[in-house]
Amino acid sequence: MQNVAPKSLFLAALILSVATYPQSARSQETNSAQDQSKPGSETKPASNEPAKEVPPDLKQASSDEGKLATVNNAKIPSYSKVYVAPMIGGFENYIIAGLRNKKVPLTVVMDRSKAEYEISGVSESEKAGWAKMLFIGVQNSNEEASIKIAHLKTGAVIFGYSVHKTNSMRGRQSAGEACAKHIKQIVIE
Amino acid sequence: MANRRVVSMVFFLIAAAVIAQAGEKNAPPSQKIPKGAKVFVAPIAQGFDSFLKDAIAKKKVPVEITTNRDQADYEITGTAETQKASTAKILIMGNWHSREEASITLSNIKSGEVVWAYSVHQEASTHGKRSSAESCAKHLKDAIEGQ
Repeated sequence: MQNVAPKSLFLAALILSVATYPQSARSQETNSAQDQSKPGSETKPASNEPAKEVPPDLKQASSDEGKLATVNNAKIPSYSKVYVAPMIGGFENYIIAGLRNKKVPLTVVMDRSKAEYEISGVSESEKAGWAKMLFIGVQNSNEEASIKIAHLKTGAVIFGYSVHKTNSMRGRQSAGEACAKHIKQIVIE
Repeated sequence: MANRRVVSMVFFLIAAAVIAQAGEKNAPPSQKIPKGAKVFVAPIAQGFDSFLKDAIAKKKVPVEITTNRDQADYEITGTAETQKASTAKILIMGNWHSREEASITLSNIKSGEVVWAYSVHQEASTHGKRSSAESCAKHLKDAIEGQ
């Protein structure tokens, strides 16, 4: 009987520690993952994998949630015609809505042949599972998206951005707006 | 001296023409949606277009819905997703409302330009798709009347 009490106490402590696993620790994990993308901190490639060469004209800058890459500080003239290619789950609509919401001075066209630039990419949405709801008490989804902008005439990719949002308050809308916000940075107003 | 003036004048005129042309090329598009414009609502996933049409009528959005795309001036396209409350959400979070996401785009059929876009996210939507459709309609009405 005396042995049962410490065992149950240990079990309760274990469950509590798992349940109260702080969100800050998770955010730290995310931040540490982002820190790896910083120019100063270079990651060592695995011994089996060959070292990948980073193009010399690609500049990376980590932002609050995502990674931004611009090529040769390329800029898009304001009110350039942009075509947003269809993406998985209709994410292109969220990008267009984000461009409007963030007041990005670009003209979105539905016909690719009329456009000067093309936005394409991928997105993924991971809904909250029961474990997340039970242990963390959060029902928000995790969102991931990555886009690139290519100049249609030359075919050159002039901009790339990827976003990862843990516990996204507004789901894909947040991810779409994050993309739009960073596109705005390379548009000449 | 006179030649210099003529050359500088010609140079100035060419520069002005180039700047004007460049400005014309990248002029901001006309974002106005006229009242009573004919709008075609393209099919949207999970029958969201039906909810949107109802909401446009309910919110008295000053546009005319047409079922023929050829007769329309504008087209609404978009995407929508509904996620019913899971057992875990009901038991753990005590929330049985669905999660709604929708994003719509209004484009001018003739010019092909997107004139308006909106996205909505409701974590616990009381009336499901109806709520998100009415949100879209309400903001479309604001966009038309607030011009």
